[in-house]
Amino acid sequence: MPSRKGRVLRATFGCNPNSSSLGVDVTFLLFGATFAGTLALLLGALLRRQRVP
Amino acid sequence: MKLEVVRARAERFGGIVEVARPRALLHVDREMMRELGQPESPLWEPGEPAQAPLVAPTEVHLVLSRRCAAGCRGCYVDATPHGAALSAQEACGILDELSAMGVFHVALGGGEALELPYLFEIAAHARKVGITPNLTTSGLGLDEELAERCRVFGQINVSVDGVGEAYRRARGFDGFARAERALRLLRAVKEEVGVNCVVSRSSFDGLGSVACLVRKLRLNELELLRFKPVGRGAGIDEELSTDQARRIYPLARRLMLRHRIRVKLDCSFAPMVFWHRPSARAATFWGVQGCVAGDVLAAVSPEGCLQGCSFAGRAEADARVPGAIRAAWPDGFSSFRDFVHTAPEPCASCEYLRLCRGGCRAVAGAHGAFSAPDPGCPRVQEWTARSPLARRAGSFALPVVRA
Repeated sequence: MPSRKGRVLRATFGCNPNSSSLGVDVTFLLFGATFAGTLALLLGALLRRQRVP
Repeated sequence: MKLEVVRARAERFGGIVEVARPRALLHVDREMMRELGQPESPLWEPGEPAQAPLVAPTEVHLVLSRRCAAGCRGCYVDATPHGAALSAQEACGILDELSAMGVFHVALGGGEALELPYLFEIAAHARKVGITPNLTTSGLGLDEELAERCRVFGQINVSVDGVGEAYRRARGFDGFARAERALRLLRAVKEEVGVNCVVSRSSFDGLGSVACLVRKLRLNELELLRFKPVGRGAGIDEELSTDQARRIYPLARRLMLRHRIRVKLDCSFAPMVFWHRPSARAATFWGVQGCVAGDVLAAVSPEGCLQGCSFAGRAEADARVPGAIRAAWPDGFSSFRDFVHTAPEPCASCEYLRLCRGGCRAVAGAHGAFSAPDPGCPRVQEWTARSPLARRAGSFALPVVRA
């Protein structure tokens, strides 16, 4: 049986310069769970193309 | 296309991977960590608790000083021209320890961090030990030379709570022209420049103008920060009205779509977002959550106190003592971490509790009950209005506790 592929569980983009803004990225929350799931697959595929130095 | 992976650290669920382009932190499972060539971690052994905190925060807010000449009327840290400050040596020592723990980002602020002559020394040291330094500034003293040196930072946000006269009303002095100039100077040397806007009852109606400014100057984000009645802010009555609390999330979405800008809401706005019942799965994936203190975030005060958040929480350790942060992290911060297990109604029955975490502890604490639900949450306000018991207790109608 082929081994299960790794998954991306969560993605936060950008850097936070504030004491309290690790909150809601409206830009991304606008898109629903389907988009998040698709992006998780895409990010996983892109990650596999590069190993951590 | 390839993602540029900078580094990774193991966590019980797998690990966190930092990516440089696009700049992101990705939580991945154990299998992905193995696929990325990461060594097996003891954290992945059977018997490790599933619900334990992260091995370290992903970001730490270093409040470098309570020193600032601006004298804003609502300053959260009571900054004065000669306030306390971490020394360069203390700040660099703290950065060394955070780096060893695997912290990815620091948010440098104050006070006005640019007033410290050794700010760039601290930022360069952060880079040297592999941490991305980010900066919040009023921009009031920024010139071309300083802007050029700001290339060392990751994201820089300039505080602009309103445009023109609205800035003066919010801050108590006329500084808009200097803040706008700072934004132009910074944008000329780097792309990661944005605006911080404190959303108060009186600045709410001017958010559209701030969004226009962000678009006009081609900035990369508008961060909307909820007004918190702490520091000198406790002395002014500027918390959002019930109606504004319900409107902030739809307004943020509208600003994003109309101006085609990235809009972020700070963690204390989480109850106002979850009241609109967004997809919990999407929120989990995008890391949308309420109080992040003692979870992905910690803070260090100018006096060296390690806290869950720069607005609230007891001192968990003296961060200036080598090893103190690492020692305090695993079992400290219970006043923040325990909320989801001990939450009273209406949080206890809220389907978003694990994401929202009861809203902002700083705001709840300012109203006299640190462990109570956030009194600004629309759901809490509805529940209070319905429940005779809660109305009698009156806990959500308590005024801000002023020293």
